[in-house]
Amino acid sequence: MKRRIGIAIAVATTAALLLSACSSGGSSSTTGSSGTPAKGGNLVIARSQDIISMDKTMTFDNNSLRVMEQIMEPLFMVSADGKTLKPFLATKYTISKDQLTYTIDLRKGVKFSNGQPMTAADVKFSIDQDTASGSAGWGFINAAIDQVTAVDDSTIKIQLKHPWGPLIADLSLFSNGIIPNNYGGKTAAEFYQAPVGTGPFVWDSWTKGQSVKLTKNPTYWQKGLPYLNSVTWTVVPDANTRQLQLQGGQIDIDDTPSWSSLATLKSTPGVNAMTFPSTQMDYIAFNENRAPFNDVHVRTAISDAIDRNALVKAVLFGNGTPAYSLLSPGTPFYDKNAGGATYNVANAKAELAKSSKPNGFTTSLLIQSGDPNQASIAQIMQSELKAIGITLNIQQLDPTANKQARLASNFDMAWNLWSMDIPDPDEFTSWAVDPTGGSHSAFTNYNNPAVIAIDKQAAAETDPTKRAALYSQLQKMTSKDAFLAYLFYSPYVFASTSAVQGFHVTPLGNYQLETVYKTKK
Amino acid sequence: MLHRLRFLPGRLVQSIPVVFGVTLIVFFMARLLPGNPALALLGQHATPASVAALSKQLGLNTPIWEQYLLFVGRLFQGNLGTSLTYQLPVTQLVAQAIPVTLSLLGMALLLSLIISIPLAAVAAFKPASGRDLGVRAFTLLGQGMPQFWLGIMLILLLAVGLRAFPVGGYGTTAADHPYYLFLPALTLAITMCPTIIRSLRASIINVLGSEYIGTAKSKGSYGAALFRGHVLRNAAIPTVSIIGVNLGFLVGGSLVIEKVFALPGLGSLMINAIFARDFPTIQGVTLFVALFVVLVGILTDVVYTMLDPRVNLGAKEQS
Repeated sequence: MKRRIGIAIAVATTAALLLSACSSGGSSSTTGSSGTPAKGGNLVIARSQDIISMDKTMTFDNNSLRVMEQIMEPLFMVSADGKTLKPFLATKYTISKDQLTYTIDLRKGVKFSNGQPMTAADVKFSIDQDTASGSAGWGFINAAIDQVTAVDDSTIKIQLKHPWGPLIADLSLFSNGIIPNNYGGKTAAEFYQAPVGTGPFVWDSWTKGQSVKLTKNPTYWQKGLPYLNSVTWTVVPDANTRQLQLQGGQIDIDDTPSWSSLATLKSTPGVNAMTFPSTQMDYIAFNENRAPFNDVHVRTAISDAIDRNALVKAVLFGNGTPAYSLLSPGTPFYDKNAGGATYNVANAKAELAKSSKPNGFTTSLLIQSGDPNQASIAQIMQSELKAIGITLNIQQLDPTANKQARLASNFDMAWNLWSMDIPDPDEFTSWAVDPTGGSHSAFTNYNNPAVIAIDKQAAAETDPTKRAALYSQLQKMTSKDAFLAYLFYSPYVFASTSAVQGFHVTPLGNYQLETVYKTKK
Repeated sequence: MLHRLRFLPGRLVQSIPVVFGVTLIVFFMARLLPGNPALALLGQHATPASVAALSKQLGLNTPIWEQYLLFVGRLFQGNLGTSLTYQLPVTQLVAQAIPVTLSLLGMALLLSLIISIPLAAVAAFKPASGRDLGVRAFTLLGQGMPQFWLGIMLILLLAVGLRAFPVGGYGTTAADHPYYLFLPALTLAITMCPTIIRSLRASIINVLGSEYIGTAKSKGSYGAALFRGHVLRNAAIPTVSIIGVNLGFLVGGSLVIEKVFALPGLGSLMINAIFARDFPTIQGVTLFVALFVVLVGILTDVVYTMLDPRVNLGAKEQS
C-alpha cells in the first residue's frame, strides 16, 4: 500500500512539475499604465504579523490599524504628504472666538455599510467611546475634549477644556473613526468581531494566524469607488518567503521587505519596490536618572561621535536620511535647521573633556534581541564610542522585556523608534519632553521647564504660523540639550507587482485602498 | 492480541501527573519573564499609567496563586481561558492551529518513510557498495543542511522556479491543504530521513545476517514478500522508537518550518504568544504539545507490541 501511495505522489509531482514548467514564463514589467482604472480583483497584501483586534479605541498595533482604517473612517483625513488635513466625513468646521468650541458640519448622504445613514448621534457616540477608553486605550488623545453634543442631524459641537491646537488632527485618528450609535444595538465585543463603518470595504472573515479579508462596500459614499472587489492581508512571518511569494505571483504587495532585499527587488522585472517618506525616527535615549547621563556634555559627546551617514548606509542600505531634529521631515512644523548633533570626533572628544567623565567610562546600550538592524546600530556605535574613550556593552532583551526595562528606567542608553499617528507634533513632543506626559519624557527622565512651557504653549495655539515658530524653538532647544541622540529617518518600504496601481502610504504609515486598482495582465 | 495492550490504561493514568506537572511549570515560568501582556499590547504608547490600567482590565493584578487556581479550575471544565491578545477563547485558537501542525507532521512522517525505507533497503542489501555509499552521503547531506535553508532552496526551485507549488501559506479549502503542505512536509522529511535511514540500514543488515532469514529463504520466501514479512518487520522495531522520540523533537522543529512556509500552526501561535506574554495561549499550546509527546510515547509502545509478539509491556508492569 505504502509503495502505491509513493508512486502516486511521485507521478503527481512529476506531472505538476512538467505542467508548470510549460506554463511558467517571466512576467514582463508593465508599470505606470494609464487610462481608466480597472475594476474588480482581490488585492493580497502579505505582512509579518496577524491583526490583533478591530477595537479602534484599544488597539495599538499597526497591522490591525491598517485594516480597520478601510472599514471605519474619520471626520478629517490626512493629506498624502502628511502635512495637512482635509474634511472627509465632515465638510467644514468653525472655531469660536474663545477657541473653546468647534462646530463641525457632517457630510450628508453618507451611509454605514449596514444601510443606516450616518448622523450626529453616531459621531458623538464614536468620539465619546474613544474618550471613555481612558489611559488603557487611545482616550488620552481626546484629553482636551470636555463635551461633544449633537446640534442637529448633521452638525456636532465639541466643547474643549482649554484651547487645543491639535484637535482636528486628533479627530483624524482611527480611534475617532465613526461607527453606528450604540454599536448598532450590539455590545462592544460583539460589534468589533465584525465592525461596521462607512468605509470602502466591509468586514468579511478572519482566519486567525493566516489571513483577514474585507470585501467591497457596494454603497460607498464616494461614487465609483472602491475599484477592488476585496482585499486580503495574509500572515507571512519570514521576509524571504514574502519576497519569494511576490516573485511567484502569489501576493500583490509585500509589506516591509528587508532593507537588504530592496536593491534586488528594484531590478526584478514585474516588481515595483516603493519607498514612502515616513515620520519614523530611530534614536538613542539617555537615562538622565543615571550618572553620567545627567551631564549634557556626556550626552553631546556621544551624539557627536555617531556617524549617521554610516548608519544609513549600513543599516538601511542607503534608503534613509540622517536625523538632526526631534521631529521628522514628514511631521508638520519640522525645522530642518534644528541643530541636532552632527558627526565630529574632535568635537565629541572636546565635549567629553569638559564633562564629568573626561577620561571616558563604561556603559551599556539596550536593544531588542533578534533585530538585525538594532544589532548593527549597536555594533557601529560600539566602535565609534571606543574612539572617544567610552566602552559600550550591548544589552539585548526581547521586545517586551526591553520595554519593561525602559519603563522602569532600568538602563543606561536605549535604542527606540517613534512614528506619528496624527499629523501634529504634539503627539510626540508631549510624550517626549514632558515628564507628566506619562513616559518620564520618552523614558529619559529629561526635565527642562523652559521646553515644557513651550510645548504646552504650542499645543494651546491654533494659529499655524505661531505654532511653527514655537515648535521651531522647541526643536532647537531639545537639540542643544541632547536628551536623545537622533539617528536616522527611515522610509516605509513596500514592494508590489507591477499590476498594482495607486498605492500610496502617508508619512503616518496609513494607506487608503479605495483608489487602488490592479491592471489586467 | 488485545491482552498485550493491558498496559494502556495504566500508562494513560500515569501520564496525567506528567502533563499536569508541565502546565504547572509553564504557568510559573511564563510569569517569570519580565514584561507583562499589557506592555506588549500598548505599543509605543505604553506608560506606567496605561500599563497599570490595562493590566487591571485584563485581570492581571490579582495574586499569581489566585490566577493559577482560576486556571486549574477552568481546566477541569475544559476551558483554557481567554487569549489576552486576541480576547478569544484559547481553545478556539489552539483548535485552529492543531490540524495544521498535525497534518504537517503526519505528511512529513509519511514522506520520510517513503524516502527512507527504499533507500535503507538499497543500502543494506549491499553494504559498502557504491549505492550504499551514495545513500550514506545523502544522509550526511540531509543532516548537515539547516531546515530553514533547505526550505528556502526548495521554494526557490519548486515554487518560484517551476511554479509547481505555492510559496508558503496553507490554502483556504481542504483540498488546498495537502498541496500547500507538500513542500514544508518534504523539508521536514528530508531532515528526518538521515536518522531513520541509518537506524533502518543497520538493523536490516543485522536481520539479513540472522538465522531466521536463512530459514525463510529456504522455505521459498524471496524478494518483496521476504522483505515485507520477515526483514522489515523485524528491522523496524528499533526504528519505531527512534521515530517516536524524533516526533517529539519535530514539534519543536516545525516552528522554524512554519515560519519559513507561513503556516498558521502551533509553532507560530506559540512564538507570538511568548512575545506578547499571552499567558493563557502559552499554557494552552504547551498543554497540547505535552499531551502530544506523551501520547506519541504510548503509541510507540503500542506499535512495538503489534510488531513483536515477544514484547509484553503489560506483564512487565504487573510484575
